[in-house]
Amino acid sequence: MFPILQIGPLALQAPGLLLILGVWFGLTTAERYAARLKSASNPIYNLVLLGLLAGIVGARLAYAVQYRTIFLADPLSLVSLTPTMLNGEAGLTAGVLVALISANRKALPLWPTLDTLAVGLSIFFIAWHLANFASGNAFGAPTRLPWAVDLWGEQRHPVQLYEMAAAIGIAILLLPRNNTPVLPGITFWSWVALSALARLLFELFRGDSTTLIWNLHSAQLFAWLAAGIALWQIGLIRKRNRPPTPLHPDI
Amino acid sequence: MLIWIDRHWTLFTLTVLSLSLVWIGLTAAQSIPTTQGQTPAPRPGFKAPAFSLTTLTGEEVSLDAYHGKVVILNIWTTWCAFCETEMPAFQNAFEAFNPLNDVVILAVNSTVQDDPAAVAQFIARKGLQFAIPLDSDGRVTHQYQVRALPTTFFIDRQGIIRDIVVGGPLTTAMIQSRAADLLSQEP
Repeated sequence: MFPILQIGPLALQAPGLLLILGVWFGLTTAERYAARLKSASNPIYNLVLLGLLAGIVGARLAYAVQYRTIFLADPLSLVSLTPTMLNGEAGLTAGVLVALISANRKALPLWPTLDTLAVGLSIFFIAWHLANFASGNAFGAPTRLPWAVDLWGEQRHPVQLYEMAAAIGIAILLLPRNNTPVLPGITFWSWVALSALARLLFELFRGDSTTLIWNLHSAQLFAWLAAGIALWQIGLIRKRNRPPTPLHPDI
Repeated sequence: MLIWIDRHWTLFTLTVLSLSLVWIGLTAAQSIPTTQGQTPAPRPGFKAPAFSLTTLTGEEVSLDAYHGKVVILNIWTTWCAFCETEMPAFQNAFEAFNPLNDVVILAVNSTVQDDPAAVAQFIARKGLQFAIPLDSDGRVTHQYQVRALPTTFFIDRQGIIRDIVVGGPLTTAMIQSRAADLLSQEP
């Protein structure tokens, strides 16, 4: 765990820094592979930045509405740089909505855009898991294995590193190869399926799981559903693009 | 293998989903009970590590004494610029919550890296009315794994840490909204 990077008098929050680097590397990679996935890089760059901005503004506004009496008494807090006064769910909704509206207005093709975003996301999630390792979030279950890490009062699975290794594998699998045509939508749904299956696998080693009835892990059930939808979609895309069977020469 | 998958995609999908269901079942059976809420650790979801310190006036302050109340634990020093900037916000929050007697502000001074005389001057200059215990040997600073100043912990009525803010300065709105959130939870 390394939450703070001390550079002289400057104390930098390592998780935040890793996430910023993840966004940058993700966007750069997406930009690099955009042409091979039949989409343009610039609109995607703008789409992500617009979505992020809308997400932050939406998250702060929703937080202010949630605690309106406090914010009415101190309206300047609305523009405070404190990163904790945000409503995550509202921010995500606002970011996705604005990105969707913008993509629609610019008439971006759905599947090539999502494919390019998936390549960027596969890189971003490597940084995400490393940021979790730095902050101690998404921590592992207690274990006595020799590679356990001492975290939050116990020896635990370094599950963030397991998940990071899986994310690296997924990113390598998804990066488009030269001269290998990929059907539009396949890269995106493959990312969804592989990420969901990785979460489903590593949930056993996590120490922050929430369970539903019969001790079933809620994250695994959602991941199973996401993997099912993604595999079904891949099947549909392949079926739609299968070349027609030639007629028998005798007919 | 890849050719087989390519030709039998539906069968492959069903196999993957069936194996996943088996794994989910096995995982549920071997589920490790979480120790969150019972294990003391300085992170959200864990029990706030217990401590007992004294203030400048010799009054003993123990975290356990505030069980059933929302506790805002701020760790600071006089030489930290952000700590100084955010202190009026804590005083405002103290004045807002004091009549309720349900929210406690403990501004633990990391005296191991500060000077008690400077602390006394600071309290007088800022007109601070809430409890300021002195961490003279740095035990609490170490226990709470404080790596940057100020660091603020929001602890619920059960003594469980719900939120941590590393750095500052916090605003009155931020402190009040977090405390209000914890107050709205069942005691």
